[in-house]
Amino acid sequence: MTNSLDFTVSDLISGYVTCYDSADRRIDLKTSDGRDYSLTLNDNSYAKLTQNLGESWQDRTGLLEERLKPGQMIFAYGTFFPEEEIKFEVNCITFPGDSTDSFLHRDKGWWVQQVDQIANRYLTWQFNWPNSDIDYRNYRTLVNITGMKDESDYLQETDTISRMVYGMASAYMLTGKDEYLEAAEKGTEYLREKMRFVDTDTGLIYWYHGLKVQNNNQEQKLLVSEFGDDYDCIPAYEQIYALAGPIQTYRLTGDPKILDDTERTIQLFDQHYKDPNNGGYYSHIHAVTLSPHEESLGRNKARKNWNSVGDHAPAYLINLWLATEDDRYKAMLEDTFDTIEKYFQDYDNSPFVQEKFYDSWEKDQSWGWQQNRAVVGHNLKIAWNLMRYYSIDPKQQYKKLAEKIADLMPKFGYDKQRFGWYDVVDRVVKAGQKFHRYAWHDRKAWWQQEQGILAYFILQGLFPENTDYAKYADESAAFYNSFFLDNSDGGVYFNVLANGMPYLLGTERFKGSHSMSAYHSTELCFLSTVYIDLMTNKRPLDLYFAPISGGFTDNILRVSPDILPKGSVKLTGCEIDGQTYSDYDSDLLLVNLPHSKSRLKVKVTLTPV
Amino acid sequence: MSSLSFLEKTYLNWSVLSVDGQIDSKTVGEFKEALDQKLLTSKCLAIDLTLVRFMSSAGLRALLVLHHQTSSQGLSLVFVGINEDIQDVMRVTGFHQHFTLVSSLDELQPAVQ
Repeated sequence: MTNSLDFTVSDLISGYVTCYDSADRRIDLKTSDGRDYSLTLNDNSYAKLTQNLGESWQDRTGLLEERLKPGQMIFAYGTFFPEEEIKFEVNCITFPGDSTDSFLHRDKGWWVQQVDQIANRYLTWQFNWPNSDIDYRNYRTLVNITGMKDESDYLQETDTISRMVYGMASAYMLTGKDEYLEAAEKGTEYLREKMRFVDTDTGLIYWYHGLKVQNNNQEQKLLVSEFGDDYDCIPAYEQIYALAGPIQTYRLTGDPKILDDTERTIQLFDQHYKDPNNGGYYSHIHAVTLSPHEESLGRNKARKNWNSVGDHAPAYLINLWLATEDDRYKAMLEDTFDTIEKYFQDYDNSPFVQEKFYDSWEKDQSWGWQQNRAVVGHNLKIAWNLMRYYSIDPKQQYKKLAEKIADLMPKFGYDKQRFGWYDVVDRVVKAGQKFHRYAWHDRKAWWQQEQGILAYFILQGLFPENTDYAKYADESAAFYNSFFLDNSDGGVYFNVLANGMPYLLGTERFKGSHSMSAYHSTELCFLSTVYIDLMTNKRPLDLYFAPISGGFTDNILRVSPDILPKGSVKLTGCEIDGQTYSDYDSDLLLVNLPHSKSRLKVKVTLTPV
Repeated sequence: MSSLSFLEKTYLNWSVLSVDGQIDSKTVGEFKEALDQKLLTSKCLAIDLTLVRFMSSAGLRALLVLHHQTSSQGLSLVFVGINEDIQDVMRVTGFHQHFTLVSSLDELQPAVQ
């Protein structure tokens, strides 16, 4: 028996208009991969423009004649009717821009407004700001879709605080709003006070998993992870992400306490997570002995994975290098990327990288949920981070791997029918299969969209001659901005269905959870702004810093927002406390700060060459 | 070679594990093993550390893990006779306020089960 698709079904078709016949109310459309569809409008069809957070509905129903020009990208949601021909009737059209050659997400200020809105919402949800003070005692890891949280019996996870701190620091760098600086600094201090374990034997620092507060207000510090994948271990990624927020804050303030904590956490990585024999970092260590080799670690004994090997770079290490330009951190970055380049490629067997390993880099294809599966976003994340580091260490093997990933992912991890990036898929197709199978579902996660968007914006910035990079950057960004922004309650949705409808059940209903805080959404805003303004659309960008007195070594403030190709950007203006200031190095992108007994507020203007 | 010795007894309805020696990275394994054994059979556990003169961070981590285990299993846990030096270390690491401490067995009340 064979199945037949002979029922009506609603879905999304995304693509580019090839023809609009207003008399027949017919739109001809070509998908991302060049397949043709014919769509019909009915009496109830309507159209709208993609809304940024904080914007009201912008109707375009009356402008179809003007907007449906050949080449216009649209998202058409409607219903398939399998009759003599398979017809598709449109319910709603979403335009990601108002002309064929413009996208809202490339407009000046689009992502800055978005990060401002996201940061503002999280401050309100977590602290009832501005009606109450920013006080991290009121922070909760779990926040529901409307921003509500439990008042008792709650968890404060170190990583989720750190991720939110990252978002606040990034929002400050782009907007200069004092409340975001306050939230970043208070969060960093709360982490130091409550979540930091100073090992009195060795001077190492490690970070508690979190703090549990029970009904009787009894606090309990949790050293070991409460998350199912990592139960009773200290996972590397939790230690890595504990640094994400403080280090982004350090870039603003130069607070030496943050640098000291970070260096002592890196010593923890070097002494207990690093494999001195075979290279890379182990994914878990035992909570008492700090060894990765304990039998009781079970399935996590002596394992390495993407998170433990690669996540150092985006979470804190690149930002640490940007703030210090210290060769030790550059060497650690190089080791990280060399390790990925050496061991993760497995292209004889799969279009996806291998990302889980035993001690000596044998493939682990039996672990928990991962089995022989790929996380699409991890592939894309490797590509964009390789290319960031490439700008200070242009090894051809980095470029080759990033370009290979960028070439393969649209074929195997991308939704060519609707745009956007899938979640977890089988690394290989089985006999008789045409498509890589989805591990659980064909939903799309917000953080994986970030990886796709940044991969192609950054690749476009570095290699503009490859027009595919702009195409996938725009398709990915348009899909994300059209379907992930919660225009009712603020913030972004965790998951949407393949067709773009928000999926709001279980953990995926939350705006705050073990997996979600104000991190990926704000990192996307921050780096999209940097690469669109400075590398692809070429226009000046203002950034804000708030160095404390006695902070940065030698009073040097480094203002490069990311590792950009040398000579591609100049520092063309600087104000300190509202006054024009001229002691800066335009080419090296640094400001020689004046000696001051108080904190300074620094605004710089960067201009593409 | 450093090692620990253990003495088990019952006081009121508390199951008491008395430890003698120095708890550091060399001995923490046997300390953890003794704690794990005790957890299998006790609902009200008192760890008497009166004779422990030194405890490194490895020992503190073991206590923290024990605290987590007893909390999640709904067991009662109390530490007895932790000396001032060790309490100072606990204060530095920031978790002293999470433990129930008494200075001697005499201060123990019958545990609520």
